[in-house]
Amino acid sequence: MDATRQAKTTAVKGTHTAREVRPLVKNIYQSAHEAKQNGRKVAYMMVASHYDEILRAMDIVPLPTENYAGLCAAKRDMDRFLLKAEADGYSQVLCSYARIGLGFDSLRKELGRIPDNSPDGGMPLPDMMLGSSAVCDPRFKWYQAASRYLEVPTFSIDVVAPPPQADLNQVRDHYIRYQRAQFQGLIEFLEKQTHQKMDKERLWEAIRLGDQAWRLWHDIDRLRVAVPSPMPSQDHFSIMVAGHYYTGTQTAVDFYQKLYDEVKYKAEHKIGVIAEEKYRILYGGGLPPWHTLWIFNYFESFGALFAIENVYRGFDPVEVPAHIQDPVDYLAWRAFLRATRYHEKARARSGNPTVEKLLGLIADYAIDGVVFHACRSCRATTIGQTHIKSELGKYCDLPMMQLVSDMVDLRDYSEAQWKAQIGAFMEALAARDGSK
Amino acid sequence: MSIVQQIEAIYANRGGRARELRRAGEKIIGYFCCFVPDEIITALGMVPFRIQGSQSEPIDEADALLEPMACPFARSCFNMALKGQYEFLDGFVAPHSCDTIERMYHIWRSNTPSPFNHFINVPHMLGPSSSEFYKNELRYFVTCLEEFSGRKLETEKLRESIRLYNRRGALLRELYELRKQDPPRVSGTEITQVLVAGMGVPAAEHIDLVQAFIEEVKNRPAPAPDGLPRIFLWGNEIDDVAFIQLVEACGAHVVMDDLCTGTRFFWEAVPETDDPLDGLVQKYLGTHCPRSLTPQVGARAEDLENRFSYIRRFAADWKAQGAIFYIVRYCDTCELEGPDLKEYLLKHKLPVLMIEDDYSTATIGQLRTRIQAFLEMIA
Repeated sequence: MDATRQAKTTAVKGTHTAREVRPLVKNIYQSAHEAKQNGRKVAYMMVASHYDEILRAMDIVPLPTENYAGLCAAKRDMDRFLLKAEADGYSQVLCSYARIGLGFDSLRKELGRIPDNSPDGGMPLPDMMLGSSAVCDPRFKWYQAASRYLEVPTFSIDVVAPPPQADLNQVRDHYIRYQRAQFQGLIEFLEKQTHQKMDKERLWEAIRLGDQAWRLWHDIDRLRVAVPSPMPSQDHFSIMVAGHYYTGTQTAVDFYQKLYDEVKYKAEHKIGVIAEEKYRILYGGGLPPWHTLWIFNYFESFGALFAIENVYRGFDPVEVPAHIQDPVDYLAWRAFLRATRYHEKARARSGNPTVEKLLGLIADYAIDGVVFHACRSCRATTIGQTHIKSELGKYCDLPMMQLVSDMVDLRDYSEAQWKAQIGAFMEALAARDGSK
Repeated sequence: MSIVQQIEAIYANRGGRARELRRAGEKIIGYFCCFVPDEIITALGMVPFRIQGSQSEPIDEADALLEPMACPFARSCFNMALKGQYEFLDGFVAPHSCDTIERMYHIWRSNTPSPFNHFINVPHMLGPSSSEFYKNELRYFVTCLEEFSGRKLETEKLRESIRLYNRRGALLRELYELRKQDPPRVSGTEITQVLVAGMGVPAAEHIDLVQAFIEEVKNRPAPAPDGLPRIFLWGNEIDDVAFIQLVEACGAHVVMDDLCTGTRFFWEAVPETDDPLDGLVQKYLGTHCPRSLTPQVGARAEDLENRFSYIRRFAADWKAQGAIFYIVRYCDTCELEGPDLKEYLLKHKLPVLMIEDDYSTATIGQLRTRIQAFLEMIA
């Protein structure tokens, strides 16, 4: 084992329930291996594509490739996959999730087996790949490129959102109609792959479980307004596994119920994460540094706790109109309502839905400072951070900082530079504290 | 002034004509990429202006507002806007061509708003529902533009406009035909100047320029055989002659392309359909940009053939002996498409040089050695 793989990467969690996530992660890959042995269909998939419940209803075992990249980084076992993808001609600035996925697929093809000692047993060959345009471009182009290494049926859907300035009364119908058609296209593709018709009752059941889990997740986050904080952001980056990778299952509901009970108890009994919570920080955006999650504990050593975050969050609950009786219609409506959740607020003030969302979090969670993480290979979550920072500054007077590295590629990370920046940020927080 | 000098002058002073027109009372609508129909803007009596960056100017202001890991072409355009170089735009329209343009639209709009600002969502997927969605997005664009201009879009005006741009496309294809000769009578550098010049002037004026240029080229004496290799270019935005000049200076003829600033925006004509918007949808969603996902067809080899056979035909018809990929860094879809296309072209015996660059004339010289080595290899 080389030096990078020995390094500490994970953070100490604040809740007991978050410590139970690791088996859930292992189970993702183990389930996929078992499914292959049992003749069930396994699909490479992209989280937050709003199609999770469809996969569950059709008995497709999801294999989230982005998550696998994050896992490799947390295990500090990413270099061999990154370097393999780069040797195959992929740019070093391409999304590092995609590079790890492509590198893994390339090595697996070259070796004719899963690369030795791959984290959590590695990913088995999928039966299909399901991309989407939700969040970013690589999430549909990646699987097209991956056909170089595995020739399986591939299908992607569009997930569309209108800009905040659009008149929703004029565009709502065609956005929802298109979203529905995209989901319907996916269903037809899956029916062809599985030789089974989708059972709408099963889809409703998956939706019910999905909504229930996400409602609980939302309620947990609302409990986190408590001072001291009952659950920090490093826990969020673990507990999101249930919401994003077990969507539409009882497992997710049970997990969040347990976490809810724990967080509620802690909030009610004022049991905080750290002894003295001096500063409450908002993780303003950017994918988490999976290679160095212990940095959250480093902040805590200064009395600064990440109280809430703005990435990989569950969507806020939305009310789909009661007249929607078809589950595919429901999914299309839900996706639209989620995407436009902050549009009205944005039109009324800043023009920017993310700014409005962050201002809401800053107020609700009694935030003292904001930290962003710019990832060199993730344009989707990084472009706009500087602008958002500047816009936030128009409405609140808080210290803000942008750390730069990558979500998984350690070559873009400098511990010394981060510590220097964090030191200066702490001084700014202290100065603000002193002037209050 | 000769036609070549006229084109060079417009190319060198890209916003010049648009400023003149604005002073004369015209409304100028700036837009990005290949997914905003000029035909609609023109039919509503306004002048479309395709926004370009500047490879020769450093990006010195934009980085304070836009992360440096965003596409440098987009950052360069925004940099120019921040410095007031796009002050003549009455409208700013961005399509959802890629992550960077989509995100930059909001930043641009917030920092340097035009009187009219609009975002067109362009589907990444292709198929009947995508076409219907894009058509509805175009309808909404028309509605907003009508409100801004105070004019109603007349169907016959739109048809006329479509015919105008089809005429321009036909002329540009005619010009490209002249590149088939060996050696070609017209250089890749000149072609780039003609195309980029056309992005900043009304289509009718561009047509006059292209027609005159074609006549001039036809009257040139046939060049003596020189044995230099013929190069096909693939990539995204090459709106500066510097890179093409470099390739040609290294000893090659750039004869054909598949670029956002090349064939992609004019090669296919808009079909004449009962509802002209249907024709626009067919043309614009058919644009060969890696940001659009061609649905998978069959096994890998068949799929690659389905995705890239048009490039093979371009290369064969223009007798290209090598392909150079010029990818403006941080273009994720090109970065993912490049290796697939390389595999396909190599299988068809066309050597490939893949270059990732920073969209800057300051660094372009560093590519000379790689280009020379490639040209020696294929010679």
